[in-house]
Amino acid sequence: MRRSRSTLTLLVLASLSAILLDARGPGVVDVVRDGAVDTLAPVRSVTAGAVEPVGDLLAGIAGYDDLEQENERLRHGVDELEGERESRTSERRSLREALALLGVPWVGDVPAVGARVVGAPVSNLEQTVELDKGGDDGIAEGMPVVAADGLVGRVVEVSGRRSRVRLITDPGSAVGVRLVGSGDPGSAEGEGPWEHLSVLFVEPGTKVERDELVVTSGLEGAAFPADIPVGHVVDATTRAGELSQDVTLSPAADLGRLELVRVLQWPLDDAAGAR
Amino acid sequence: MIAPAVPRSRAIIRPAVQLREPRAGVLARRIVRLPPFLLAAVVLHTAVLPQLRPFHVGADGLLLVAVCAGLAGGARTGAWVGFGTGLLADCFLATPFGLSALANGLVAWAVGSLAGRLLRPGSWVLPSTVFGASAGGVVLFASLGALLGEDGLVTGRLLGVALMVGLLNALLGPAALAVTRWAVGSPRPEVPVLEGGR
Repeated sequence: MRRSRSTLTLLVLASLSAILLDARGPGVVDVVRDGAVDTLAPVRSVTAGAVEPVGDLLAGIAGYDDLEQENERLRHGVDELEGERESRTSERRSLREALALLGVPWVGDVPAVGARVVGAPVSNLEQTVELDKGGDDGIAEGMPVVAADGLVGRVVEVSGRRSRVRLITDPGSAVGVRLVGSGDPGSAEGEGPWEHLSVLFVEPGTKVERDELVVTSGLEGAAFPADIPVGHVVDATTRAGELSQDVTLSPAADLGRLELVRVLQWPLDDAAGAR
Repeated sequence: MIAPAVPRSRAIIRPAVQLREPRAGVLARRIVRLPPFLLAAVVLHTAVLPQLRPFHVGADGLLLVAVCAGLAGGARTGAWVGFGTGLLADCFLATPFGLSALANGLVAWAVGSLAGRLLRPGSWVLPSTVFGASAGGVVLFASLGALLGEDGLVTGRLLGVALMVGLLNALLGPAALAVTRWAVGSPRPEVPVLEGGR
């Protein structure tokens, strides 16, 4: 028993040393971490590919009704979008020209790296996905990640050939946002997988419409470029005596079925560590 | 009438005689079997289990291995394997490196200590031990992370996640224990086994 206690003490000290080493910044811990991720990447990819159909089957059985409804909703959505696309093209061009005249960067101009999502969240307590591109492809920690529909999250770990993205639904994630209707700023925070986002600091007097689009604020020092769709308003209530509204968002991007994403090589000099 | 003073017989608590495999043999066996076993566990944990998530929660394969190592090999073996599996898990997480190693090592040591002292045979013992240890391991990980300043680990869904992980790990427990026993199982008892017990 005494020997097992000595062993435990030794291992607790070793664990605490590892935590302290990691907290000091890039160093030997990152080398170990990156080495493990890169070395195991091919085996994990092949295994995940083999198991994927089983996972899809289980998810399909569990959510068959939802899928049917979603298909119907998407068909309607595609029809509407086809009609809107033509009119939006000219507006988009005008906006781009106006922003260029003002010297404001537009998200479409930000260089990006296309990547494939190859790993689902490993932990039950953090919402992260793994991409098949890493530091060798120009990806760095802190870079924003977007899908076709909107913001996905932010890169939090990078090895040579892989990178890990913290999704906006992660309870540790916070994004500076702006309500498109009123222009009021707020902070969208994650609540967990398949949960809505909460928007904090929206003033009680602000008129918030259901389905209203919410985009990244792009305020000075922000970690994300402006005007990336974050989500749509699901609900907004003001409680008596509260200094802000309770606004909830449904993420614009389908975070449960991510396949292809773009990692924006957004300037990080001022953005690191900012919202 | 006063009875004569006869010393009362004491319970026999000397260690039972067991056949012991030479230490070098156990070590050699572990050196050969542990690396492929841990490699398979990591691949299972990071590539297979994340895709099988009923109610958006999956089994924690590396925590399960740590718990089973405590059950199969005792406190010391459990602590070492828990530490190792925790470090491997930390390679794939955004939380501080060493946090899972600390949590898994503590849980596996506790399970190994209890396994030698309290556990009695019974069909409910293994699943309930794996359930309790796994759920406790998830809560311990989140609590230690919160102490280190990690946001988003201790939330309203933590208890639900812990119970679900415990349930899924308990379902996988018998198979995992058999494989872990093959990889780390040691016939050397670390605590005295009560004669006539077990």
